[in-house]
Amino acid sequence: MWFSEIHPTRSSSDSTNCWSGFKAELWLLQSLDNGISRRIVSVDGSVAKRRHLQGSKTSFARAFVTSIWQLKVGLHHSSGNVRLLPCIKCENSNKEGSSFEQVSVEPPPYHSYLDSTSGQLEPASGARASIPGQEFWPEGTASRVRAARAPEPMGASTTSPSYGQNPGSRRKKYKASVASSETSETSGVPDIPDDVLEEPKELLSEYVVYQSEPEEENLSDYEMDKKIGRPHPFIDPKAKKPVEEPLTSEELWWNWRKPEKEQWSRWQRRRPDVETVFLKAMAETGQIKLYGDHPTLTETSLYRARRHIYKEERLKAEQERLEKIGPLAYYSEWVKAWKRDTSREAVQKHFEETGEDENTQLIEMFTHQTDQEYRIMMGTDVRIRRDPLAMRMREDQIKEIWGGDPVYPTINYIQDPDAVIDFRGPDFHEPTPDMLAYLKEHGKIISREELEMKLAKEKTEELEMTDMDEAMAQAVDIGENDDEGEESDDGEEEKISRNWSILKSNPELRKSKGKPKNNNLSLEEAIDDSENLTDFLMDFEEDE
Amino acid sequence: MLKNSFLLCTGECYLHVPVQQPIFICKKRNRSIKSAAAAAAAVAYNATSSSAAAAASNLEISSASSPSSFPLFQTPSSLQPTPASELEPADPDFYKIGYVRSVRAYGIEFREGPDGFGVYASKDVEPLRRARVIMEIPLELMLTISQKTPWMFFPDIIPVGHPIFDIINSTNPEIDWDLRLACLLLYAFDCKDNFWTLYGDFLPSADECTSLLLATEEDLLELQDHNLASTMREHRQRALEFWEKNWHSAVPLKIKRLARDPERFIWAVSIAQSRCINMQTRIGALVQDLNMLVPYADMLNHSFQPNCFFHWRFKDRMLEVMINAGQRIRRGDEMTVNYMSGWKNNLFMQRYGFSSPVNPWDVIQFSGGARIHLDSFLSVFNISGLPEEYYHNSRLSNNGYNFVDGAVLAAARTLPTWSDGDVPPIPSIERKAAKELQEECQLMLAEYPTTAKEDQQILDSMPEARRTLEAAIKYRLHRKLLIEKVIQALDVYQEQILF
Repeated sequence: MWFSEIHPTRSSSDSTNCWSGFKAELWLLQSLDNGISRRIVSVDGSVAKRRHLQGSKTSFARAFVTSIWQLKVGLHHSSGNVRLLPCIKCENSNKEGSSFEQVSVEPPPYHSYLDSTSGQLEPASGARASIPGQEFWPEGTASRVRAARAPEPMGASTTSPSYGQNPGSRRKKYKASVASSETSETSGVPDIPDDVLEEPKELLSEYVVYQSEPEEENLSDYEMDKKIGRPHPFIDPKAKKPVEEPLTSEELWWNWRKPEKEQWSRWQRRRPDVETVFLKAMAETGQIKLYGDHPTLTETSLYRARRHIYKEERLKAEQERLEKIGPLAYYSEWVKAWKRDTSREAVQKHFEETGEDENTQLIEMFTHQTDQEYRIMMGTDVRIRRDPLAMRMREDQIKEIWGGDPVYPTINYIQDPDAVIDFRGPDFHEPTPDMLAYLKEHGKIISREELEMKLAKEKTEELEMTDMDEAMAQAVDIGENDDEGEESDDGEEEKISRNWSILKSNPELRKSKGKPKNNNLSLEEAIDDSENLTDFLMDFEEDE
Repeated sequence: MLKNSFLLCTGECYLHVPVQQPIFICKKRNRSIKSAAAAAAAVAYNATSSSAAAAASNLEISSASSPSSFPLFQTPSSLQPTPASELEPADPDFYKIGYVRSVRAYGIEFREGPDGFGVYASKDVEPLRRARVIMEIPLELMLTISQKTPWMFFPDIIPVGHPIFDIINSTNPEIDWDLRLACLLLYAFDCKDNFWTLYGDFLPSADECTSLLLATEEDLLELQDHNLASTMREHRQRALEFWEKNWHSAVPLKIKRLARDPERFIWAVSIAQSRCINMQTRIGALVQDLNMLVPYADMLNHSFQPNCFFHWRFKDRMLEVMINAGQRIRRGDEMTVNYMSGWKNNLFMQRYGFSSPVNPWDVIQFSGGARIHLDSFLSVFNISGLPEEYYHNSRLSNNGYNFVDGAVLAAARTLPTWSDGDVPPIPSIERKAAKELQEECQLMLAEYPTTAKEDQQILDSMPEARRTLEAAIKYRLHRKLLIEKVIQALDVYQEQILF
């Protein structure tokens, strides 16, 4: 029938909350006063608050009713009053008034305020704070503002720079034209009034180039399509080249090119896998000998194969032993308390006597096993070092394999210890290095012919060097030498022509050198081998 | 010390007796006639007609402001001609090339006179409580070398491994700072896009420099000073040997093209010597003594009573030129700094190529035993302060009295004096001693082959002479003027000695 606006007063705050809460609900209330049925329409609602409302519906309803009574229900038929308090508009059910009004945004209660900084009335919107005076500016601001306000220099120069070639070329040298220079053009630095704020900006400054005209762009069809977004091929058809025929795998095989050796990333280096690290550790401890300082692929794979085979062999041997002597005898190694005979015959005999088969006897035996023995048998006794080499490895080597701290293990990013290693590096096309060729090339190995040639050369040299007269003279001195051992020692020392460094480092060799037991020496060889002719002769006599 | 005393002096002058005019010494090539005329004009302007000129300007402004009372619309047309306005304004590009590189100049203008560039105020500056910035030059435009041996360059324009660094490194760290700076300057000229390739066009060329490094042998003889001449020969020889050692025919092209002939290198050395500013700078946490070549700031001329000083603003690494606090600047005044205090004229001549008749630190060697009473002499000329910082106390003298200048201060320092507590001088003995000293001065003057007047005539007779020759003649002239001034001061002393 009529249109009403209810203004909840501040006296009942809970009813105010309720009002804002159940806006989505449509409530039909029988108002007790005046007997007028009213429909309250609220425009928007919130679901979250409705749940709260449903929980306390009954109490709310009671409170609502009572609050309705307590409210002063103001009935306003006039629209256009400015409300200072939030207002809820209630509409009549049949909407015959058709003057539906939205809830509007309130204007701010004030549009200016007294700023305590400036002491003046300032606008409440927009840039509110006035810029304080210069003495309140932070440090350095004044100089920056001053520098920014400095006007640009005026005037155009008639001379051009010489770029360091001709210093002093742009001076005016105080020509005679001074008298005639009534030029009103002042110098580069214009006078600045202190209150100059605005200066006409040149369109072309040093740092900012203003684009005055749009550039005329010349686009091909394809680029235009691409720019506009029309369907276009992914590749510019002009720039597109036909895909070359891919090579067959055969061709690829034969045209394979070794990539460059250079290492441009640390991830390209050979990663330390388990075998490599183990091999290096073994080489360090002297268990094996490596050819180089790093194990080669061959050595690594050899080690892997050997390790596997040895392990298989060990397991097979154990298995054979188990089968051969029977499980009772086999496992009685770890049961010290089992004093009975464990041979197959005894087991068989015991079976015949008591009817306990082998498994039962085994179980019976294991009941006598101690904890310690069980742990030893299962390999879980920490006091027994399972892999001495791994235990002996250095910290960094351990980390290379298992990574980090054993207590707080970290992920080994270098190598997953369980990874299956692909040994085909970039060199996998290369043939396995030939040790023999390498050794030959580096002079570590020579062929028999070469050795003989060398030996023959050395022999001739020795022969050339031995003077017959000198040898005879020394042969004459034999008796004297026998008498005076020290002198002969000195003489020996002087005569050492080969391997002197060995003799120098371990002199005990020198004593035993006197009597080499060489039975089947030829004359030349004996001469060659002996220190001097005296030794040779003495050997000769002894042999005879 | 001296700087402070003069600051105080000029400040007092300006505050209380604004007639006193500080004496400007142009760095280069004072042409005595014109400068004398200019000084006279300045004095006249300041002493007699300042009030009249102010009245006239007021009149003009009031007449101009009648059509439009709004002050911004008034045209500042009716500017008084100042002595500086006779000089030619610098090329507009001179300031523009720096302006785009954030050099700022406030209220000054660069003008070019017969003696080279100078910086002049383009407006009046009231005395301020705090120093006022007139120029800001960022570090990026300078050329600097650390004074001590890890050679550091700010900005670091020398690339690592460049042979010019080896050359710089080969110099004697104690004495060869000018050679290092010259190498750096020449290298900067060769750098592409370096600011100094532009700024170098405004440096004085070799025929405009007055540095005695560029002087010929007869110029050195004109000095009438054997010690100075031989010193300059040694310096020149040092620079030449350095050039020959490092610019021999086998050096790479990037070194060779820096200075193809020794003249260019010696020019660079003279530029380095006469324009170097030694300052302690702070860059971040790094405090360093630097030899710096500062563009624009090196156009400031020297004065013994400067009105500006340099200040390193470490916050944004700028060199500020500031007006002394409490200093009144009038439009057209030249802005000056004190290059070196406590130097004699021969040192100024040796390094900067100019000398001054009013150098308060100049020294005359007296050999006789005559002495005058120090306190009496000082009180006659109203000189106050301790010996290190004598200044003319203008409050004690009457206004028109401007006999006392730097030369009298020099006389107070250099005359043989006695002072014995309260013992008063005996006037007759004092006069006698003063006369003896005067005679000795006359003897000194007689030793010179020419007199001051003859020197002046020589200078006037050849207006187109070489700069170095001019400077040399002026040097001996200034020496004689100083001695004559001492004689006059002794005359005044005899007249006014207190009984």
